[in-house]
Amino acid sequence: MVENKSGDESDSGRNSGKWAVPTGRRTDEWSECLVLIGNSNDRASFTRFFRHFAPLIKAFALAGSSLSAAHADELVQEVMLKVWQKASGFNPEKAAASTWIYTIARNCRTDMFRRLQKFDTPLAADDLNIELEGEEPFTVLHTRRGSDRIKDLMGQLPPDQAQILAKVYMEGKSHSEAAAELDLPLGTVKSRVRLAIQKLQVQMDRQ
Amino acid sequence: MAKHHPSNDLLMEYAAGSLPIAQAACISAHLSYCDRCRRTYDQLQTVGGTMLERLEPVPVSEALLDTVLARLEDPAPLAYSGQTEASEIPGLLERLINKDFGQLVWKRVTRALSVSYLSTGDMQHEFALLRIAAGGRIPEHTHGGNEMTLVLEGGFSDGRDSYHPGDFIFRSSDDTHAPVALDGEDCICLTVLDAPLRFTSWQHRWLNPFLKLRAG
Repeated sequence: MVENKSGDESDSGRNSGKWAVPTGRRTDEWSECLVLIGNSNDRASFTRFFRHFAPLIKAFALAGSSLSAAHADELVQEVMLKVWQKASGFNPEKAAASTWIYTIARNCRTDMFRRLQKFDTPLAADDLNIELEGEEPFTVLHTRRGSDRIKDLMGQLPPDQAQILAKVYMEGKSHSEAAAELDLPLGTVKSRVRLAIQKLQVQMDRQ
Repeated sequence: MAKHHPSNDLLMEYAAGSLPIAQAACISAHLSYCDRCRRTYDQLQTVGGTMLERLEPVPVSEALLDTVLARLEDPAPLAYSGQTEASEIPGLLERLINKDFGQLVWKRVTRALSVSYLSTGDMQHEFALLRIAAGGRIPEHTHGGNEMTLVLEGGFSDGRDSYHPGDFIFRSSDDTHAPVALDGEDCICLTVLDAPLRFTSWQHRWLNPFLKLRAG
């Protein structure tokens, strides 16, 4: 009943299995790769990183048919250049490579949307990022554990919750836009989001 | 340490990049005060990273890789370098204000309340600083929409609770409140509105026609 609007034909019948089966490999391979790029401007590592992530960034760009194929390629290019420029600031203790590049892709896409809509703002999406120096090692460890747990639990989310998260994170929709597109009451979307957050134990570190 | 925080819903929309820019700027400013929300935000971003990893890859041409490789030595664009020195004001706001609070243009609304509008480019939201004189009261009011407030200096109380620097408050249209600044120092708050406020008491209702939303 629910249409997946991500616009490419390989989409059909992938609602619950929206994502490819995880490889079981830890992302650490890509974090190491990113460190190599940052430390020694290693083009071979960058090429390897590109071959893995560029097709994912392109899928992200095309999610929700929000960008044309040409703009999707432009986004891939922008994101990958930022990866090269920012790799030396990547701290594998704090985040997985996939989370790091997600943030870059999200910001580039936001800025691209704004450019395309001729939206004039003194703020780039990057300006809103909070980077704090010198976080306590304990906090870092805690965050890292939380992240590992989220990765493990992600595959167990029920399809209706996973579908909303995909709208929100991959298509960049607000909760009310997601509700409108899925033809669900906003309250239902919010309660699924709440259940998903509970399942992923995002709150564990909060209290 | 902040005691009042944005909901997980808001933090998630912020982490996914779907909040309008004025609201996102307010959440971002709160995160610069609040370790706890920053940790939650980190985890909510991990959700995004994990989903990205699990997307069905869409093939990318070799030509695109070549283009990118050829551009690697292009000079990186200049980037804003984040927080300058040890400032009490979140870096982002410092940048929008470009001076300190005293030098802003403040417009008087009532004896106790002045407002200074900042520009984020967001045409749906007014992004403004409010200054409430120490001990001063904002007449009872309501909103046609939602209001985000972040306390930057001083503090205020609304009868339910008191709020201090870093505290974040979200009020929806059906809330009526009459905040009173704490004694001792002026209270400065950041507010993000999607509809103008409406005074409810008869003494102040005449002001309503003048309270247009200054989005942009």
